[in-house]
Amino acid sequence: MLKKRLIGVITIRHGWSVQSFGYNRYLPLGKPEVLIENLDRWGADEILVQCVDRSKYDLGPDFELLRRIGTLGLSTPLIYAGGIRHATDAVFAVSLGADRVSVDAMLWDSPHMLEILSRELGTQAIIANMPVRQHNHMLYWLNYRFGHERILDASLLSVLPLEWVSEVMLTDWSHEGMAGGYDYQIPLCFPLTDKPLLLFGGLTETTQFQRLLSLTNVVGAGVGNFLCYKEHAIQQIKQNVVGVPMRAAHYAEDKYIL
Amino acid sequence: MIRKTIGIVDYGVGNHASVQRAFQALGYRCWISRDSDVLADSDVIVLPGVGAYPSAMSALHTNGLVKFLRDQVRLGQPMIGLCLGMQLLADESHEHEITAGLGLIPGKVVPLESAYWHIGWNTIEIVNGDKLLIPSDGESVYFNHSYVFKVPKEYQICISRLDKPFTVGVRRGNVVGLQFHPEKSQSAGRIILKNLVEGLNRA
Repeated sequence: MLKKRLIGVITIRHGWSVQSFGYNRYLPLGKPEVLIENLDRWGADEILVQCVDRSKYDLGPDFELLRRIGTLGLSTPLIYAGGIRHATDAVFAVSLGADRVSVDAMLWDSPHMLEILSRELGTQAIIANMPVRQHNHMLYWLNYRFGHERILDASLLSVLPLEWVSEVMLTDWSHEGMAGGYDYQIPLCFPLTDKPLLLFGGLTETTQFQRLLSLTNVVGAGVGNFLCYKEHAIQQIKQNVVGVPMRAAHYAEDKYIL
Repeated sequence: MIRKTIGIVDYGVGNHASVQRAFQALGYRCWISRDSDVLADSDVIVLPGVGAYPSAMSALHTNGLVKFLRDQVRLGQPMIGLCLGMQLLADESHEHEITAGLGLIPGKVVPLESAYWHIGWNTIEIVNGDKLLIPSDGESVYFNHSYVFKVPKEYQICISRLDKPFTVGVRRGNVVGLQFHPEKSQSAGRIILKNLVEGLNRA
């Protein structure tokens, strides 16, 4: 049986991993490689590395970071996000060790690129990240670089070529960094009911994982800030969520000395 | 004890670095190369791959590796195909267009029936009693694909399930293909890689 995934999310700004709050306030945590190794050791199902400044300042992907991550020899699947402009960027990111890529700014700037990415890497390797908030059962999609929003309804989705992405990550940006903050209405208000969803932003509590991962089209949950200070958080979440197919939490005992 | 050597086929498609580090972590010597002499000298050839089938086969042709890989299999050199690398072992693929494959294991690559994609951790079931994979029966491993290798049952060694079962492991003599990513399947994947490298021997 296909398992629901617990994804460790590492947010990187100016080359440093940070705690992020509501897409506008950041606290430094340290070297990304250390946090990535921790997630690999603790048995996360996937690791998402998102560089939040790369598209904003038109820097392209952080290939140097990916090279450094590559030397770690991770045994956990890696998703890279940040600054991907075209298929060449995405293919190079994969060659450096990313298993999948996630795009956000591309959805605003050049959505037609999704098809080209898909033809190079396969649709399964492409994730669309959409920062959203919910108000009156309507989703508002944030262009974080410019701070403006659009209503994310069926008519907008009909012109976005999301058939070229395998999963959509619905990030509750306004509750990001807030314990227990994820808005339960967000996945319910997303018009594409058959698109597999990943959720991120303010997911900390067992009751949240239990409720949200029980939704048929929710295939994974991302946890960022809240894994940083709890060494056994992945194990605890997996053990406490019942009735949801999840892989047992394994420490990488054969790779790291515990 | 002499360490076995792994020749990872570099044809510009895929995640060679991840595959290399997984084998190195197991204690093997690894070469990433498109040089036929280097690859022929290794104990096991590993054909990785991420991406779309037509561009992968095109890259193998461009690098002059198609005939070489077929010849090495005929000579009995062990080969492991991973993910797209497994699908390349087939006769043909229907991804985007019909593309001829390496033709090392009979069958064709077609879209998944049960879903658009198969992404994440899923359980594998070993079939036909393949001794190299039996220790991994019931383990969860990482998948990331949308096409599957439709193969005659005699070549099937491993299946997984969504609504319906489908092939995720194939074998014909010394040629093994795995649809999942053992290099990204944590300890479960490393056990599989070790068992394959130790169990496959030159004919």
